[in-house]
Amino acid sequence: MTTTTTTGLGEAPALSPKDFNSGLKPIWCPGCGDFGVLSGLYRALSTIGRPPHEIAFISGIGCSSRIPGYTTAYGFNSVHGRALPIAQGVKLSNPDLLVIVAGGDGDGFSIGGGHVAHAVRRNTDLTYIVMDNQVYGLTKGQLSPTAPKGLKTITSPFGSLEDPINPLLYVLAYGAGFVAQSTPADMPGMTSILEEAIRYPGFAFVNIQSPCVTFGQEEQQVRAQKTHMKPLASLGHDPSDLQKALELAGHYGTELYTGVFYRNPEPPLSYDRLIRLRQDEMAKQARPRAQILDAYLQK
Amino acid sequence: MSLEVPLNLKSRNLDLAQLSLCDAIDLAVLVEEEARDRYADFADQLTLHHTPEAAGFFRWMSEIEEKHRKELAERRQAKFGTQPSRVNLGMIFDIEAPEHGEARVFMTEREALDVALRSEQSAQAFFAAAKDAVRDPETRALFAELEIEEILHQRLVREEIAELPPDSPGNQEDYSDPPVQQ
Repeated sequence: MTTTTTTGLGEAPALSPKDFNSGLKPIWCPGCGDFGVLSGLYRALSTIGRPPHEIAFISGIGCSSRIPGYTTAYGFNSVHGRALPIAQGVKLSNPDLLVIVAGGDGDGFSIGGGHVAHAVRRNTDLTYIVMDNQVYGLTKGQLSPTAPKGLKTITSPFGSLEDPINPLLYVLAYGAGFVAQSTPADMPGMTSILEEAIRYPGFAFVNIQSPCVTFGQEEQQVRAQKTHMKPLASLGHDPSDLQKALELAGHYGTELYTGVFYRNPEPPLSYDRLIRLRQDEMAKQARPRAQILDAYLQK
Repeated sequence: MSLEVPLNLKSRNLDLAQLSLCDAIDLAVLVEEEARDRYADFADQLTLHHTPEAAGFFRWMSEIEEKHRKELAERRQAKFGTQPSRVNLGMIFDIEAPEHGEARVFMTEREALDVALRSEQSAQAFFAAAKDAVRDPETRALFAELEIEEILHQRLVREEIAELPPDSPGNQEDYSDPPVQQ
């Protein structure tokens, strides 16, 4: 694995953010939060230093799921809610690839909600970035699984009766080793979190509060986020403290905490590494080629 | 707008105190390059979303930023030749480039000019802070020069704003455009 760490002014990274830009122009609404996320991803990847052909972006369906097309890495814009199982398959078939999953809150926690728990408990080494805007923007603004209770939309004119899913608590409860939240309102902070998540050796989850400029609420827009976001580092939060992480994550929807909620200080071996070890072990016990059909003989 | 811009919201992995004159010119070139590309992106977005007046203004701004970038790049070439650069685009964030969230469907030319004004103010604030942070006198002089240039740019943008007719009342975003195929 090739990595270049840039600190201070020692040496500029070999790759520029532009090396990850496919040149295809995003058709997101002007002002969409996803522009910032994409820009942060280009920057994080240039710092990490893996060339585009060693990276794969997997997505489902939705505005944010268009991201694979905007990068020079391998990409798979798959079906709704199925990005995580496909990404796990990609990682297991080519463990050397750096696999990044990108999608929205609807894709991840409604249509694909059942897959999240299994991806987390399996702990495959991939980074799952959810661009959480609390609305189905692509289909013109219906309630999404993270939409706040009481939210009025064009298809829920009397307001939502449901409590939202808390994506941070969801993944923490299933044992994710890296859980963070950020916003394009803090571009350097978000970029650093993306970089840290990608470097984490296991399942890493980043919830990005990426505002929908067309159907989102005023208090969710970048300008408002700048006034009320609270960096966890400024609260003195220790990311290795799981209990505190659970407590802070419980404030999803009422407080905009940014930073790393939890980072397992002793990451266990990821699923892809465990499989590699088992394959190596079983290879030692494999029958010689000449005896391979003996398994089918009754003795 | 306050000119107090926290440096940690504008850069990453960049210790301004350590900048040499060559690093500072390289940084200034990147600042112009980022602004050029962002304005061009805004122009493309707003062309796609049927907002031609603002798109035209952002296209013009992109050309201006390219002119500034080229002038700085020529100075760099004349003084430092092929000396390798120690900074890259991954280290800076929206110093003179408008933030990604600033574009809006059906924004008026006046709103587009306001975006440009905020961006010039942001650049001025960054160069002022950088001037105070660096140790090398030549580098400090360069940042002071860039700070003054940004003040001049703000004056030009304000003059343009003063010549515009007032915006018509009403929220232009109420007339959002239909989805497009790509």
